[in-house]
Parts: sequence; structure tokens; C-alpha cells
Amino acid sequence: MTLLSVQNLTAGYGQARVLHGVDLTIEEGEAVVVLGANGAGKTTTMRALAGLIGFGGRVEFEGSPLAGLRPDAVVARGVSLVPQGRGTFPHLTVLENLHVGAALRRDKRGIKEDIERWCGVFPVLAERTGQAAGTLSGGEQQMLAVARALMSRPRLLLCDEPSLGLAPKIVAELFGILATINREQGVSLLLVEQNAELALALAGRVYLLEVGRVIASGTAAEFREDETVRRAYLGY
Amino acid sequence: MDIFLERLFDGVTNGAVYAIMALALVVVFRSTGTINFAQGEMALFTTYLAWWLTTVGLPIWAGALAAGATGFLLGAVVERTLIRPIRRRNDMASLIVALGLFTAFNALAGLLWNSETKPMPSLFPAGLEDFFPVAGARLYWDALGVWLVVLALIAGVFFLFNRTRLGLQMRAVADNAESAALSGVPTGRILMLGWGLAGIVGSLAGVLVTPLSATQLSLTTMFPILIYASAAALFGGLDSPVGAVVGGLAIGVLEALITGYVEFIGGTLPQTAALVVIVLILLFRPTGLFGTRQLERL
Repeated sequence: MTLLSVQNLTAGYGQARVLHGVDLTIEEGEAVVVLGANGAGKTTTMRALAGLIGFGGRVEFEGSPLAGLRPDAVVARGVSLVPQGRGTFPHLTVLENLHVGAALRRDKRGIKEDIERWCGVFPVLAERTGQAAGTLSGGEQQMLAVARALMSRPRLLLCDEPSLGLAPKIVAELFGILATINREQGVSLLLVEQNAELALALAGRVYLLEVGRVIASGTAAEFREDETVRRAYLGY
Repeated sequence: MDIFLERLFDGVTNGAVYAIMALALVVVFRSTGTINFAQGEMALFTTYLAWWLTTVGLPIWAGALAAGATGFLLGAVVERTLIRPIRRRNDMASLIVALGLFTAFNALAGLLWNSETKPMPSLFPAGLEDFFPVAGARLYWDALGVWLVVLALIAGVFFLFNRTRLGLQMRAVADNAESAALSGVPTGRILMLGWGLAGIVGSLAGVLVTPLSATQLSLTTMFPILIYASAAALFGGLDSPVGAVVGGLAIGVLEALITGYVEFIGGTLPQTAALVVIVLILLFRPTGLFGTRQLERL
């Protein structure tokens, strides 16, 4: 079943249009990656889907439109974004960060169980529940940002360049966890990445974005075989 | 010694009021990034309302409750109708709106209740004999009453911030509004409630301080309070509720001791002293005593 369907998505900032008609779909349970150079519109796509900026075109999640919804309403529908760079609340403790992530939920017991579950998945967080998020390392903060987003029990998790600025070892660990969440917890994944190699290992399907349009799409296996993609994004 | 103690008591009483007024400023500043210069005049307006209710036969505590409720409504409505639509466009714009509201609320109070000075009834026994001796000094009931109400109010605000879901969401919006929205926090509603909360606290500050003020209730009563509260908020750190409380008490006590012991300053210059404090803090420690520098590692 199609979870997210995006047709002719247009968006931008002020007079500057960044997306000129993006089409993509995500099936239930899939992990999909959007590749593209700087300025291709990857982040803009994510921000539009999360309700942070207005957009044109048709976007349907589980069959009903997302247009015009504010970010908190998009979360309520089951779509959660880990924004680029700054996804945590630096002055709140790790535990408080996770509680804010559950802002829309009322089931106290379920929230507690989820905190335990994500602390199990991200052991670095379990050791630091009382620490201010701003004192964590970059990798720990990124993990917290992902866990925070998962606290709303999304059906679709959007991740905007989670590898940005992190050490390779941390990135590998983070991607391993994202893969586990996708496979074992049934959370569908839409990932924006510059690190194509890691992204292709994680994702089943790929969209290639260039200057605000999808110029190619296919399975991760097809992309790894493709000569031009390999040269442009994998560097071998 | 007893003179010193009495000056200290006066200082703590005034300082307590500055503290909650500063707390109101901090609650707004943390979430919206605006110093609400109209906070004092909104409190002036609701204090007039409390006074007016006593003239039609209601007890002053009922007036105080009405002032608090009206303060909440004024704060929330101002945020929703004036601040929110313009804030995203320009930081300076909300400052200008606050200054406009400053004049507007003052003028409205003058229009409704004229500019004559009104004697403001106190919430507590306030006669010349209503004191008890402490180490040879006189501690008046109305001062003690102000201390207790302020203490309860501060405890309430801190409980709200640190122990409730709403408070957590308020802190989250203040810390990172975008991620709060992405977590499902209705940021607009939270900001509105923050302004409302500041309105309650500011209004109660007004009702508490006017009976003690030499000017009683007049159109200029709240202006010096706002100056002291701004100094207190800056002194403690504009984003720190703890700092607001400490700063308020410090400014109150300093004011009482300076006017008491430094003769050339006397009764009119302390506001200047407060402004000097503001300038010095902005020069040497812009984040104040308890304010936070950016706590972020990327």
C-alpha cells in the first residue's frame, strides 16, 4: 500500500522557487533515499513534507492530503522529521527531550515504555538521561534527535542528512540503527543523504534530485550498477 | 541596627515585586525574544480595574483575582492578535508594538478612570500599628503578606515550568521552536499561554505594589517598577527565571540601602541608579548572572 505519494511538488523561499515539480512515492515499510548535490532541493522537500514551509502540488499521506497542515498536525498524522543539524533542545535534559517528542500522546505508560525502548536501541542515551542535550557530542545529539522523532510513534520517519558532521564510525552506527528501526519496528523511512554509499546500503529505492526535479529513480541495486551515478556520487 | 533591618525589609518587599515583574518579562522574552515594555502598563490597567471593583463594593482580593484573570486575557490576546502576525517579519516590529501598547494601556486607564491619584486598598492589614517587632525593627504585616504571595507565585511558576507537561512544552518552544513544532507541540498556543502567564504575574505585581507605593495608584505608578524589573531581568539574565528572582531582590535591597545611606541620591535618583546597572550589565556581562550562553555543540 502506498504510504506517501508526492506529485508535482513545488516549494521555495520568498521569490526563489527551489522545487520545480518533484514526484515520489513511498510504500508501506520501505526505506527510500533521496540523493542529490547541494542545492538540489533535498532539504526543501523534507521541510515541505513536514509542514514547515508551504508548497504546491499534491501530497497525500495514507490517502489524505497534507497540504496546509501545520507541523504539529503533520506529526499527529504520523509523519516525523529529524531536521538537519539542530533536532534537539539543548537546555533540556535527554529525558525531557524524549518527553517533548511525545507531546501529542496521552498514554503515560506507553510513553514510559517507548523511552525505555529507545534507550535500549540508543544505549548512549540511557547513560545520559539527566544530562542537558547541549552537552552531548554531535553524534549523541543526532541519536537523541532521531529518538525524539520516534517518540511520536511515526509511521513515516523523515531524516534530513543525519550523517552531517559526524565521524564515520558514528555514522555507521547510526545507519545500522536506522536500518533496524525500519525493519523491526515497521517505521517507513525517507532519507536525504550526501553520503551515497551508506544511503544505498540502507535504502531499497532511490530518487536522484537535480535542481528541484527528480531526474532518475530506481532500486538501490540498479543505482549501484549505474555508471554515471557511481562516478558522480560514489566516486569509483 | 533596627534602622538597617527596616531598610532591609523595605528592600526585600520592593525587591519581591520587582522579582515577579522581572519574571513576567523573562517568561515572555524566553519564548518570544521580545522585552514586553507594555508589561508594566498592562499591569497598571488591571490594577485600575481591581481598584475600580473595590469602589463598587467588592473586596480587594476579588479585585486582585479579576486583575489576574484580565491580565491573562490581555497577554494572550496581545500575543495572538498583535505580536504573532508581525513577529516573523521583523524582530524590531514586536518591540515597536510593545512600546505602542505601553502608551495605549496608559492612555486607556487615564481615559476610563481619569488621572487623579487613587488610594489603593491593600490585601493585608496596613495600619500604622499592624507590625510585629523583629530584633528591634518593625516588620509590617503588609510587607510580610507581599513576601508570602510573591513566594507562592514564584513557587507556582517554577512548579509549572519544571513539573508539568505545559511547562516542559513552554521550555521546549523557548529552546528550539522549530523542533518543538516538529515534535507536535502547538507552538502558537504555547506562546499565547506564555504571554497570558506573564499577564497574570505582572497584574498581581501591580496589585501588590501600588498600596505600598508613595504615589499610590496613578498613571505613573508602574513605570518605575518596569525600569527596576528590566534592570533585575538583565542583571539575572533575560532568559533565566531564577535570575529574575535573584536580580529583583538584589535591585530592591540595593535601592533601599542606597536611598537610605547615600544621601545625595535621595528619593529621586534610584531610577537612574537602576539604569546605570542596566548599562553596566550590557557592557560587561550581557548574559547576566544566570543567563545562558549558547549551549550547543555541533
